[in-house]
Amino acid sequence: MKSKGHLYFSAFLILVSGYAILAASRWSFKTGFFPLAIAIPLLLLVLLHLYLEFFRAPEVSKGPAVDADFSGDVDENVARRRIITIFSWIAGFILAVYLIGFPSTVPLFMFFYLKFQSEASWFQSLALTAITWVLFHLLFQKLVHIQFEDGAIQNWLGM
Amino acid sequence: MLDAFIEGLFLVLQWKAFSLMLVGMGLGFCVGLLPGIGGAATLALMIPFVFKMAPAEAFAFLLGMHSVAATTGDITSILFGVPGEGLSAATVVDGYPMAKNGEAGRALGAALMSSLVGALIGAVALALAIPIVRPLVLTFGSPELFLLSMIGIACITSLSGLSVRGQIRGFAMGLLGLLLSTIGQERQSGSLRFDMGLLYLWEGLDLVPVLVGIFAIPELVDLAVRGTSIAGDRPAENLSRGVVEGIKDTFRHFWLVFRCSAVGVFVGIMPGAGGGVAQWMAYAHAVQSAKDAKDRERFGKGDVRGVLGPGAANNSKEGGDLVPTIAFGVPGSGAMAILLGGFMIMGLVPGPDMLSKHLAVTYSMVWTLVIANIITVVLSLAVLNQLAKVTYIRGGLIIPFVLLLVFVGSYTANGHIADLIVTFCFGVLGYLMVLWGWPRPPLVLGLVLGKLVETYLFISVARYGFAWLAHPIVVVLILLMVFVIVYPFVREKPAWAGGGD
Repeated sequence: MKSKGHLYFSAFLILVSGYAILAASRWSFKTGFFPLAIAIPLLLLVLLHLYLEFFRAPEVSKGPAVDADFSGDVDENVARRRIITIFSWIAGFILAVYLIGFPSTVPLFMFFYLKFQSEASWFQSLALTAITWVLFHLLFQKLVHIQFEDGAIQNWLGM
Repeated sequence: MLDAFIEGLFLVLQWKAFSLMLVGMGLGFCVGLLPGIGGAATLALMIPFVFKMAPAEAFAFLLGMHSVAATTGDITSILFGVPGEGLSAATVVDGYPMAKNGEAGRALGAALMSSLVGALIGAVALALAIPIVRPLVLTFGSPELFLLSMIGIACITSLSGLSVRGQIRGFAMGLLGLLLSTIGQERQSGSLRFDMGLLYLWEGLDLVPVLVGIFAIPELVDLAVRGTSIAGDRPAENLSRGVVEGIKDTFRHFWLVFRCSAVGVFVGIMPGAGGGVAQWMAYAHAVQSAKDAKDRERFGKGDVRGVLGPGAANNSKEGGDLVPTIAFGVPGSGAMAILLGGFMIMGLVPGPDMLSKHLAVTYSMVWTLVIANIITVVLSLAVLNQLAKVTYIRGGLIIPFVLLLVFVGSYTANGHIADLIVTFCFGVLGYLMVLWGWPRPPLVLGLVLGKLVETYLFISVARYGFAWLAHPIVVVLILLMVFVIVYPFVREKPAWAGGGD
């Protein structure tokens, strides 16, 4: 799995660094020097990594020493389904913010997630939604004065 | 001088200054818990309120708020894996795994106590350093600051695995972070780079959406996949004992906490070095202090030393940050630049006057740092047991709340829907990086330091050509960087000498 992952991630890095080299080589020296000075070694390092990964013996020391790891005790199919579900909720949240704005999305998202994804009781869902909405309003709107833009629908309706 | 020192204490203890400090601390506590809204943003919001205050009252209010925000930022990092501030991201790496292991109380106790020790060391450094710091700061020009930033990146990339491939991945991620920092307008000529025709990218990638995306989203996805509480099915620790254990850990590893505090003070004193590097350098130092390869493997999986180092450095750098701000009017960070605005409002001019005519006000800042941190830690310790219980609440109830914090936090960066999209994209990237074993910290550090590195490199070359490479301090720093990269290999030689790499 990790080996396949290295292949995919290396391909992504090759695309990124290749694009950076092509773009930066067309700019003036002053503008392009720093990106080039980074992207070229990045490309070389990734190619070297790929070579080591596929033409040399497996890696001895495993895992990065300075980063976390995921827990791996969930069935792969269940895990895949849950990953797709949570990313869909996140994408849905962003879409809702775009369409109806932050202040309206907060209570709706909280309630729907709690009731239908977490399968919380009606009381729990409503109570937690109300608490979150009040905290959101007091902290972010009243105390810190964050200006939340209206959603596309409000703008379209001229509200 | 002693008179001014004592007068500074009395200035803070006057009822009005003390009350304002408590109000500031309350605000700082709330803000520190909210991801994305860092101490600097809160300082900017509160600056208008200091117009009618006396200098000691204003600094008690502002510094009380700022120092507490730095401390409480660690709480969300540990409980939810969401960095409370951009700078507290290093605490996530071991703090959150500790919460997952059912040791949230211990991690919180360690973070708060090391923060207190760090803050006290920072305050002492501030009190002692003001008269003697001038030659040190003036010795560090652009070439030296460029190398200092590179050492910061080298520290963290060199810890990305003991194999050659692990090192390559670390350096590649550091370079990717640097490359991402070049998005937007180039500072010297104003030309646009990698903007993809989007106005949003003209200012470059903001740190907050990237940080919360790359650290918090993968942890939330993992929590959703497990379908349990953060601490999972592990038996609940005796929470009050856990907190006490964390406090004891601070003193068990006191020498490490002291060294990491010194790292924070040093980075804070260097104007323009960027406070972000302090936590990561301290973390890297904590990892490098491990006895052997086996001991080092515990980092990233919930080692208390990975919480102690960044916690201490995060707060000690506040004292360090104040040194160039007060002594020369050169702010060491964004927050200090805003604080400088406070000096102007008060009619105070940073520089020699602050060390002679207004010395009592200067020492009142030292006392504010000390008193605010002591009160915060004592009060926080009283509620930590309750806070740590959050890790035993069903994940399904926690996820939507934390998601809101994450996205509201990232939205505060520019107030644009694109902030949320950036958070999502980096969330996916962060998830894949953890899944496939590509380290995230070097990428973050590269992004944090990228603009500084490019600016210092540009100034160095424009001012000295390539002669700066022969500056004595630069040579020492280059050797130090090589040492930082090679040292883990030399020490762990038997672990990789016979390997496939």
